[in-house]
Amino acid sequence: MNNKFDALKDDDSGDHDQDPGSPKDGEKEKSEDEDKEQNARRKMAVPGAGEHPLQFNYSLWYSRRTPGRPASTQSYEQNIRQIGTFASVEQFWRFYSHMIRPGDLTGHSDFHLFKDGIKPMWEDDANKMGGKWIIRLRKGLASRCWENLILAILGEQFMVGEEICGAVVSVRFQEDILSIWNKTASDQATTARIRDTLRRVLNLPPNTIMEYKTHTDSIKYRRTLGPHTENLSEGVRICNESGGNDESGEGYLCVDWHCV
Amino acid sequence: MSTDCQKTTAKAIPSTRRVTVNDAEHMPHDYCTTPGGTLFSTTPGGTRIIYDRKFLLERRSSPVAKTPPRGLPNIPGVTSPTTKDPIKKELLNNNVASPESSHTGDDAQFEMDI
Repeated sequence: MNNKFDALKDDDSGDHDQDPGSPKDGEKEKSEDEDKEQNARRKMAVPGAGEHPLQFNYSLWYSRRTPGRPASTQSYEQNIRQIGTFASVEQFWRFYSHMIRPGDLTGHSDFHLFKDGIKPMWEDDANKMGGKWIIRLRKGLASRCWENLILAILGEQFMVGEEICGAVVSVRFQEDILSIWNKTASDQATTARIRDTLRRVLNLPPNTIMEYKTHTDSIKYRRTLGPHTENLSEGVRICNESGGNDESGEGYLCVDWHCV
Repeated sequence: MSTDCQKTTAKAIPSTRRVTVNDAEHMPHDYCTTPGGTLFSTTPGGTRIIYDRKFLLERRSSPVAKTPPRGLPNIPGVTSPTTKDPIKKELLNNNVASPESSHTGDDAQFEMDI
């Protein structure tokens, strides 16, 4: 692990004029202790007086891909921005209420909610043995579903211990995609419980097709297509874009807008 | 008869977390919730701070929740309006969600026609 994200933050800091969270410390040496240093350096979010603490601290991230440009690992990292970290229910709403809803996003964009310290990337230590449940939504549902999903995560509704890593909402051309990431793809009891909780908190119709995908498969798949062909957080997308040659096969075609 | 019965080792109850209640609004909305969230102190998985959707949505209207966060990066179209579109501007200025998410939690979960 290195501190790509920190570097990225510094690169970008021109835009966020009043951001005390991105100190200019480009002179910092690259060392193995960087992560540790980074953690110590980063101001820990703590619940304020009278606020309702969350079980875990979380960060919100935003990423966007310019259409037509190859989504290399490099550009994924360059295109992802950390919006903020919070430790309480109230702090969450502060950020959330000052952000646009996913359904109002334009273009090829994603919001990510991850536990503080876990980067929304397959390669993160917390994610590398993990996987994600994917739900494809027809247009118009993303804002509501995303809100219900993240409220369930923040409120610890999944009851799978430390397994949840985060969630992503991906806004795409014809559909939107929700995914929830967990640590251990091979833990079937956990993945089944996450699936069942998802059905409940999103009020999904019983016939909803839900797809579980391990991150190692996502990485492998990207490699067979050549390096850097897809967005790291969003494994299957590129396949559809490049001609519907999606490994998820017929499952994909049955969902959402085809069945409305 | 087995004489060496297995003894379960006693474990201390996880440490107490104190929650200050300064305001009646911080009190839980029902009797199965403790202030500061429901504590499942000795359930598998240990202590968890659990909030249901309704409670979380109620907290949205708290004064803190309405204050813009410090250090919010300026991302046009995401944390600030891209254009002078009055609707979007209003949305951000009022800290009010788009109509579909400005509910207070007492509405039923929507039916999703997938």
